[in-house]
Amino acid sequence: MSARWGDVATYAVLAVLAVFFAVPFAWLVSLAVRTPAEIYLGAARFIPETPTLDNFRTILSDPAFLIYLWNGLKLSALGGALAVVLAIPAAYACARVPFRGRQVVLVGLLAVQMISPLVILVPLYRWMNALDLLNRDVSVIAVYGALGMPLAVWLLKVAFDAIPIELEEAASIDGASRPVILMRIVLPLARSGIASAFILAMVMNWSQFLIPFILLERDGDWPISVAIFNFAGSVSASTTQLLAAACLVAVMPAVLVFILLQRMIVSALIGGAVKG
Amino acid sequence: MTPTAERAPGQGYPAPWLIPAVAVLATFYAVPVLDVTRLAFSDATLIQPASGFSTVALRSILTDPALPQVLGTTLVFVAVNVAVLQLAGLAIALLIVRGERRELPGMAAFRTLVLAAWVVPGIANGLIWGMLFDEAPYGTLNSLLAYAGLGPVAWLSDPQMALVSAVIANVWQGTAFSMIVFYAARRGIDPVLYEVAELDAAGPWRTFRSITLPLMRRAIAVNSVLVSVQTLNTFDSILALTGGGPGRATEVLSLFTFNTVFYNLDLAGGSVLAVLLFAIGMGLTILIGWLGRDRT
Repeated sequence: MSARWGDVATYAVLAVLAVFFAVPFAWLVSLAVRTPAEIYLGAARFIPETPTLDNFRTILSDPAFLIYLWNGLKLSALGGALAVVLAIPAAYACARVPFRGRQVVLVGLLAVQMISPLVILVPLYRWMNALDLLNRDVSVIAVYGALGMPLAVWLLKVAFDAIPIELEEAASIDGASRPVILMRIVLPLARSGIASAFILAMVMNWSQFLIPFILLERDGDWPISVAIFNFAGSVSASTTQLLAAACLVAVMPAVLVFILLQRMIVSALIGGAVKG
Repeated sequence: MTPTAERAPGQGYPAPWLIPAVAVLATFYAVPVLDVTRLAFSDATLIQPASGFSTVALRSILTDPALPQVLGTTLVFVAVNVAVLQLAGLAIALLIVRGERRELPGMAAFRTLVLAAWVVPGIANGLIWGMLFDEAPYGTLNSLLAYAGLGPVAWLSDPQMALVSAVIANVWQGTAFSMIVFYAARRGIDPVLYEVAELDAAGPWRTFRSITLPLMRRAIAVNSVLVSVQTLNTFDSILALTGGGPGRATEVLSLFTFNTVFYNLDLAGGSVLAVLLFAIGMGLTILIGWLGRDRT
């Protein structure tokens, strides 16, 4: 009987929290499908009388907006891929090569994650300027690779640890070298871990504002995160519905990817959290 | 037969494997941190190189009357966030674990909802909450409050309320992280302990006090530090929500640093602040190592 009351209490608390977490999403959708006149009706029109997709049409018919989305996708994906590629050798060493100082490497990687990108961006901006790399995608991708690498090492180490070492021992007896073992056995078996690390890095890059905002000065190079900030500066009350639609378009890719692949990513994160 | 092939997996030299990671750490973290420290003791601006050693920037930043206010705001922002984020994250994690054990439907959906807020870009978070906090009569929260006969609340124009609003927006986005950490820690506790507690007829509060809390203490300690540093480094959502205003009411240290370097183009001054940001972050991180080592 008391367990039943416990269930009721569980649902009661979660319901309150669910409202808090759901309202911003729900409201964003509500604003995004309103006509300009309905914006002024506030909560009275939570469900608009005539929901309209015009706002999305306006946003998505702007070629610049599509370019921002493409830039965001391109920078996030390449930056995420770079992070994973850089992380693979170190993660393999931490999983399979026993050496003194392994713990130092792992803790060190955790420690650099504590450094704000703001701190390292000041010198990086000057170097990129000196190397004539400002306003080039490659500068942003390189920084994304560096920022994403530490977490990727942790996630990949956990993934590599889960592979039975006997497989590698058998391959080794057959004369396969370490790099061959890594390429032929470890990486294929760890593909869901690799995918989680890549997607997580990509989602984080999609959210990045500071790096592209500082390193890319030309409007046409911006990813969506920078573009909506700039767009927000130019809107007034009469265009709130457009800003809401733009935000929704900027948020949805990350949220959808995350929801679809949630099981995989969350189990990778929980694995990492347990070890950490 | 090369020597490499004869070594069984599980042995070998780590150095070649570590080169890429170490090179990245050196190029993108270690050297920039040293460089920013050097710049802090120079007279460089964003467009002009340093001409020599100088403590002018250091002195002008440390005597800037804005600094105490910024540090105070940062302290309040971080402290309140850390407390609320962890309480919310802990409550959600424990409730979800309980719900899963009782096989209640909807737990996965709820977890997904919290995680969805987590992946919202910081800038979008600030803009979305900016619309919710809109102070016009048709603004979301104020028009809802009006139904209840309350308000209107000066969400963003009142200095104190603006800080509360910034905390709310940050909690909405940040809770998922603590939830994941605590969920993992709670799942790591041996279920036998709970079965024994049930046999002993221990109530839920007693079980929480005597089993859950002591066994999660390390996770809570480590998470406190992780969340403090994350919150310390957060500025994009505040930038989009309030821009640091009204006045400097919501200008935290990271936002102040950003403004000093990239709006005032005061590179040396910004570097002083960046070093300060780095020092606080690292101080907290060393605390993690210490807390982690304390109870192995």
